Amino acid sequence: MIEVQNVNKIYHQGEQEICALRDVSLKIEKGNFLSIMGPSGSGKSTLLHLIGGLDQPTSGKIFVDGQPIHGISDNQLTLIRRKRVGFIFQFFNLLPILNALENVSLPLLLDGIPLSRIRERAVHLLERVGLGSRIDHRPEQLSGGEMQRVAIARALITDPAVLLADEPTGNLDSHISEDILALLKSLNQAGQTIVMVTHDPKAASYGKRVIRLKDGSITEDISFSENVA
Amino acid sequence: MNLWNLIRHITLKHFLLRKTQMFMAAAGICLGVTAIVSIGVVNKSVLYSFEDSFNRVTGKAKLQITGAQSGFPETLVEKVQAVQGVEYAVPVIETDGMLVSGKERSIMILGVDVLVDTQVRDYSLSGDSADVPDPLLFLAKPDSILVTKTMADREGFVLDQKIQVQTVDGIKNLRIRGILNPEGPAKAMGGNMAMMDIYAAQMAFGKNGRIDRIDVSLREGEDLETVRQAIVDALPQGYMVDTPAGRTKQVEEMIARFQKGLDLISYLSIFVGMYLIYNAVSISVVNRRKEIGILRALGCLRRDIILLFLGEILIISVIASGIGVGLGLLAADSLVSAFGKVISEVYVRTSVSGIHFTWFYPLLGLACGIIASLMAAFFPARASSFISPVSAIRSVPYAEEKFFTTKRLNIAGVLSLMFSSVIFAMYKFIGDSPLTKDVTLLIIAQLMVAVGVSFFTPAFLKGFVFVFNRFFASGFGTAGRLAGLSLQKNLIRNSVAVAAVFFGISVFVASVGFTHSIKQSVVKWLDSMIIGDIIVTSGHPGSSANAHIIPMPVEMAEQLKKVPGVKRVAPWRRIFMQYNGRRVLLSAASLARYPGFRNDETHQAANRTSNQKKDRVVVSEPFAAIFKVKKGDVITLPTPAGPVKFDVAGIVIDYSSDAGVIAMDIPTYQRHWNDMLCNSFFLAVHPGANVKEVCAEIQRSFGVERKLYVLSSLEFKEEIHKILDDEFFFNYALNTVTLMIACLGIIVALLASVMERIREIGTLRAIGTLRRQIYGIIILESILMGVAGGILGSVAGIFAGWVSLEGFFSANYGSAAQYHLPWSSIIMILCLSAGLAALSGVIPAQKAAKTNIVEALSYE
Repeated sequence: MIEVQNVNKIYHQGEQEICALRDVSLKIEKGNFLSIMGPSGSGKSTLLHLIGGLDQPTSGKIFVDGQPIHGISDNQLTLIRRKRVGFIFQFFNLLPILNALENVSLPLLLDGIPLSRIRERAVHLLERVGLGSRIDHRPEQLSGGEMQRVAIARALITDPAVLLADEPTGNLDSHISEDILALLKSLNQAGQTIVMVTHDPKAASYGKRVIRLKDGSITEDISFSENVA
Repeated sequence: MNLWNLIRHITLKHFLLRKTQMFMAAAGICLGVTAIVSIGVVNKSVLYSFEDSFNRVTGKAKLQITGAQSGFPETLVEKVQAVQGVEYAVPVIETDGMLVSGKERSIMILGVDVLVDTQVRDYSLSGDSADVPDPLLFLAKPDSILVTKTMADREGFVLDQKIQVQTVDGIKNLRIRGILNPEGPAKAMGGNMAMMDIYAAQMAFGKNGRIDRIDVSLREGEDLETVRQAIVDALPQGYMVDTPAGRTKQVEEMIARFQKGLDLISYLSIFVGMYLIYNAVSISVVNRRKEIGILRALGCLRRDIILLFLGEILIISVIASGIGVGLGLLAADSLVSAFGKVISEVYVRTSVSGIHFTWFYPLLGLACGIIASLMAAFFPARASSFISPVSAIRSVPYAEEKFFTTKRLNIAGVLSLMFSSVIFAMYKFIGDSPLTKDVTLLIIAQLMVAVGVSFFTPAFLKGFVFVFNRFFASGFGTAGRLAGLSLQKNLIRNSVAVAAVFFGISVFVASVGFTHSIKQSVVKWLDSMIIGDIIVTSGHPGSSANAHIIPMPVEMAEQLKKVPGVKRVAPWRRIFMQYNGRRVLLSAASLARYPGFRNDETHQAANRTSNQKKDRVVVSEPFAAIFKVKKGDVITLPTPAGPVKFDVAGIVIDYSSDAGVIAMDIPTYQRHWNDMLCNSFFLAVHPGANVKEVCAEIQRSFGVERKLYVLSSLEFKEEIHKILDDEFFFNYALNTVTLMIACLGIIVALLASVMERIREIGTLRAIGTLRRQIYGIIILESILMGVAGGILGSVAGIFAGWVSLEGFFSANYGSAAQYHLPWSSIIMILCLSAGLAALSGVIPAQKAAKTNIVEALSYE
């Protein structure tokens, strides 16, 4: 379970103070699929980054499976990102010098595990996302949808407590977007907790719960009995 | 294991993808290591060769007694033999001769007492001459000489052959009475030596009744120090009684300054290499910022990011340093003979046949290359670990992270310059203190000047671009305006590239300025010292170490005066002697030849009082600094007749020997040293006389009896300049290495700077910029960065060179030299910088002009 308690996030831009999140509190149950919506600058990506330990709140508390991820050292935070969180980004963020298999294996390689011991699991995940025949291809040899599938497989390799997706379909056409969202839905149905930021209501409808953010505050929180899409 | 995974899966792939950049960074370190290893090995080889020759000639002697080069009375042998504990006191003549036939090779002549010498030295004769020399026959015939087998084989000498050798008395015919096997002293100087009976050697080399050295062996069980002290007590003041190791150390100290100067430049080259690595890693961090962000987002620790970059540099530096060590050894092998020649000409006779390999310098080079690279990479690597994963994966521009601000850089620049100013002031004004004894701090100050000025790069670039935009941009049309605008808008990023260009150039200009100034000061001094129209010597005319000069009897002046056209003849005698435990040069000619002293002469004469009856000397600045002597002091010099007091009439500039020079009028020298020899004659001709004809006439007059070098003063100066060029050859070679590393830095910096802007170029193309214009903008920007770095580097280099000269040269040599701007080098480096910058812009410009707009814009 993820718990966000009275979180504020303030950025400084020169002399100016920008409040990205204001007193946000939120609980995400294990196995949930939460979609975070809101206009540009509403703080949805900031919230995702805080939950994922990419950034630290200015004030407030955040717990992932009861473990605090606020006010801890950079090393502790980094290890939580490595072992407990899976990220999917809008621009995929694959390393262009690595092939699909190596990109997927990267989080475990960072843990010091040799590729030979990761290979089987990485191939299995690539097959699961439909890229079993593309394991040796580098990002430049893959389409946008394929790159995002590699990113999803990479996010899953550590068997994370939560999968965080930042506009995962924002850079894909509608047909491929549906495939990706369907894949996420199937992962959620298999028990994976997912938090997804999107501005697309159709994408949001794949989740079990939707919250809306405006000017850094939650303005709406809707739960569905089961996924709408 | 994380690190291994990162290196295996990421680093090695980067190496393959960025071959050019990696190669250039590696080449910089490789060249630096080459410089360190080659200079170190050459230095060591020359010292080894000297030590080896020295030990071979020394034999079993435990102590050696030496005095001035002019020799000392042989009666002292008996005094030494009488000292308690002395087993044998063996007299030795060690002088130079010159084979007149063949290649006119300078050889070492060892004059020994054949009846007792075998007590300290072992030598044997080759089979052909096993029955000779019968010692009595050898003694009975003063024309006897033994040559080494090496020399006999090389020159084609056979037993009983007559050979011609130039001696003090002119050319002498000597007969080879034996050929020495290549062992013991016969292997000294690469076999370039010959032996004579001591009496015959005294006769031939103008040392009647005098010897150069006494070798002493000790009775068994005697304490070395006790016997040494007893000998010192038994002898008059001014004799050096030392162990062979102690004498070797003296020579090591003597050439240490020369070697240290070269070491300094070789270490500077690795410092430039460090900056190249620093720059390459900084650029790599900027280029791979997104990759770092992704790795951090996926759970890569900061420590691992630092280790990733350090690991990459470790691999590059190990390979580059390894190659550098190999190249260094090759370079040393080809340079060692030339280096030995310089040492022989300037310091002490030595013969170096090849390199003396020890593991020390290869390991030192390897360690320097690796440690310097890791140190250089550490700061950008550490900075990379602070890259925020959020901003990196969102591709927020680098400059927006405000790693560097102009204000912070200016403060850092001011602090660096203040630091170096304090150190410099300390050397200049505090004088002798434990801190200023070593020049390391001063070298740091010099580097801090360069580092300090580099912090002002953004501020300088801002001004430079302002001037360009205001006065020149329109002249280049659209490309000029856009290039100026681009430089202005990306000030921090472009400053990194300009700083990289700047640094290499500043170190090069500093080093060249230092070398050029010393050379010019020496040339100017030499030119002022050479008075007269013709110079006559009987050996290498420019040998300041006396290694290749056969002295001439001073009465030759009378014969020279008789040559038609000669108006005046002035002899010049130069010998090395011991003063307070150090080897100094005694120069006897006319004190009036020193320009500084000449001007002061009238004033001095007027102030001389009747009780100042002592003879006068002038001393060089290094001598005054080493022995704390001031004008007006009295110094006591050891003469063959005992200690004599001299007034110090002036402190003068004399670059003949950095060990220190004492100069006196030649009659004074002759009176006290009872030495009627001289090294050269300076001749003035009558007005209207043809110098060339007079030279030819002198050659004709002495041709058969003496081999002379007769040069006009112009030819002599040219000869001296050639020797100076030889002496500075290694400095220039090292400067060239630094220049090459600096050039690599320019290419790496500018290439990377343009390559990272492909997306920006795509945008320009999208809004309608022509390919031709893109080409123009990129190349012009590159040139502007090259020129900006060149100008800033030259200014900082001039300043750093001046600091070096004022501080390092004065502190290390105790002598002042005037700073001379190395104009030609500065102009060359500015043109080279602009040219290389243009070249660095061509490939990216071609690539940029051909960029697919859609691909460039969809770079994410």
